[in-house]
Amino acid sequence: MGGSQTRAPEAELGLLDATMIGMGAMIGAGIFVLTGLAAEIAGPAAILVFALNGVVTAFTGLSYAELAASIPKSGGGYAFVREIFDDLSSFIMGWMLWFAYMIAGALYALGFAPNFLELLHVYGIVPPPGQVGAVALPVIDAAVPLAFLLAFVAVLGLVALNAVSTAASGSVETIFTIIKVSILVVFVAFGLASPMFSSAEFQPLFPGGSGAAAILPAMGLTFIAFEGYDLITTVTEEVKNPRENIPKAIFLSLIVTVIVYLAVVTVAIATLGADGLADAGEAGIAAAATSFMPTGLPIIQNGGALIVFGAVFSTLTALNAVVIASSRVAFSMGREGQLLPSFGQLHHRYGTPFVAILASAVVMLGSVALPTQSAGNMSSLFFLLSFIIVNVAVIRLRRERPNMNRPYEMPFYPAPPLIGVALNLILAGVLVEYLIRTDPLALVLSAAWILLGGIAYFALNRLRAQPNRGPTDADTEMTPEAED
Amino acid sequence: MTSNLDIIVAGGGRVGFQTAEILANRGHDVTIIERDEGIVSEIADEWIATVIQGDATNPDIIEQAGIERADAIAALTGETGLNLAVCLAASELNPGIRTIVRIERAAGTAYTRFVDAVLFPERAGARVAANEIVGSDVQTLADVTGDLDIMLVRVAEGAPAAGKQLTEVRFPAGTLVVSDDDGHRIARPDTTLTPGNRYVVAVEPDVADEVMNLMRG
Repeated sequence: MGGSQTRAPEAELGLLDATMIGMGAMIGAGIFVLTGLAAEIAGPAAILVFALNGVVTAFTGLSYAELAASIPKSGGGYAFVREIFDDLSSFIMGWMLWFAYMIAGALYALGFAPNFLELLHVYGIVPPPGQVGAVALPVIDAAVPLAFLLAFVAVLGLVALNAVSTAASGSVETIFTIIKVSILVVFVAFGLASPMFSSAEFQPLFPGGSGAAAILPAMGLTFIAFEGYDLITTVTEEVKNPRENIPKAIFLSLIVTVIVYLAVVTVAIATLGADGLADAGEAGIAAAATSFMPTGLPIIQNGGALIVFGAVFSTLTALNAVVIASSRVAFSMGREGQLLPSFGQLHHRYGTPFVAILASAVVMLGSVALPTQSAGNMSSLFFLLSFIIVNVAVIRLRRERPNMNRPYEMPFYPAPPLIGVALNLILAGVLVEYLIRTDPLALVLSAAWILLGGIAYFALNRLRAQPNRGPTDADTEMTPEAED
Repeated sequence: MTSNLDIIVAGGGRVGFQTAEILANRGHDVTIIERDEGIVSEIADEWIATVIQGDATNPDIIEQAGIERADAIAALTGETGLNLAVCLAASELNPGIRTIVRIERAAGTAYTRFVDAVLFPERAGARVAANEIVGSDVQTLADVTGDLDIMLVRVAEGAPAAGKQLTEVRFPAGTLVVSDDDGHRIARPDTTLTPGNRYVVAVEPDVADEVMNLMRG
């Protein structure tokens, strides 16, 4: 029984910790990776995109708050849906959420790579890729494999870490989040003070020709940025007084996150311009920072390096969070008998959900080959779809279990979940339509994943039906009161 | 398939709540049915089980607790008749369910015609009381310790720890496997956790869930 002393005692997380876990997931990588991509689609209206996504996601946040307060299970959205829906629906929910997290992992890994290169560049270790601050790598053949390799290694490293040790307690996450937010506050402060900000141009608000409709696909792409409350509800068991603190943490983290996003995106667009931001892609914020942060500082040399470091740090911590989140979904599904039982077992030597982590790793490593934008699109699509199910779950639970104790009841029921379903459906529809036009590969892969899920579900049911037959027959012989 | 059970506990008072807490610690899904609003909100604070507020003899309430999916129902209120009614209604709604009734008097065994098990908390309590009164420094296993659980656990076929030696398995801190394979010796590092055999295991409540996962899968 060696090595058992490495396990931390059960953490008692307060409201601050719970809020920080949610913010850590939402402010993590999304803001660094997705801002440039949003600007590419929506121009300066990217600011609107993030604001509206915050509004859309708030409705689902209400549903999560009600479910988390009344269903004491630490499995996040899947656990809630499992409580109410039949096998097939809850399987689909888990299957989609699992995928959403795995692809999010790929997205963060892909965001990590260019930001890491940018960091190396700031210190002069690698030659400047293109202009100062931009990682628009000119030589496709040479540059892409390097970024791909970095993303691959990042995933591999964090998976290995999580596979052999149960780490990542909530209090570490709190420190990480405070670091990330502080770095962003520095970014916003310098941005507001820079001369580029005072001469900022937000016109034309929408990119040429496409008009206001351009913000819809951008909303779809960046929706993933606000998925953090699912993570809050995966640690509820460790939170003090969860029936008050979980709803509070969900709303607080959402509000603060939206404010931070708006401030950062506004500064980034004001300083670098929507076009510059779009060119920098996944390293958009880092590139904006390099353009206006002071240079010639001791040790960190370049003020921009601080932000670039923030981007590297954020993408890595977010990647770590989704490695854990995705394996937890698979682990819960295994325990509920919805995946092979081995998914729901702890490794005898490492004490971690080993099989669940490895399976998640395979998909993540494969997805690193995707373009960043496809990864963002697919992950957002699957979060949108699973959030629809969560909203439906709230309605169904109210109808089927009216007497269930609900320590937190959302205001204006049934409006919020209905609006949530409608808005998520619209965004999912727009996203699918956008994918048909621009990224059919992502759509095909998404459909393939659902199809694979269907096959897995029925194969597993068949597998389960066979070994059960034997013991059931034996039981009937032994039980005297069995009549049939 | 999975070893975590779906359990309904009717009555969230002293006995019901403690039972629910132990079961939840071991990783089972527990739903509590409780009539009293004040008790409901106390249970909700503890956040160990879904709570349905209402009368457990009302079939509508039992259905809201998810009777059709439950593996077992334990009627643990202070009223024997009510408990019996709950279990009879439950086995009507879900014939395969395991039923446990808490009784008030020692006349218990007669009830086993209708339910799978009876529980007489006063007798269990009396045993502990008698031990305490005698006050011997050395006592036998049952009911001894504060929060510790000393359990007899059968290792399941296909569980992560099945067939492994103790040195190979990383049990969480707060676990102690006490007995050896055949039950005649204290466990040694090279003791093998043979599937189908039972072992005496001492665990702290926090890690009971993990230990169950390792030994039961």
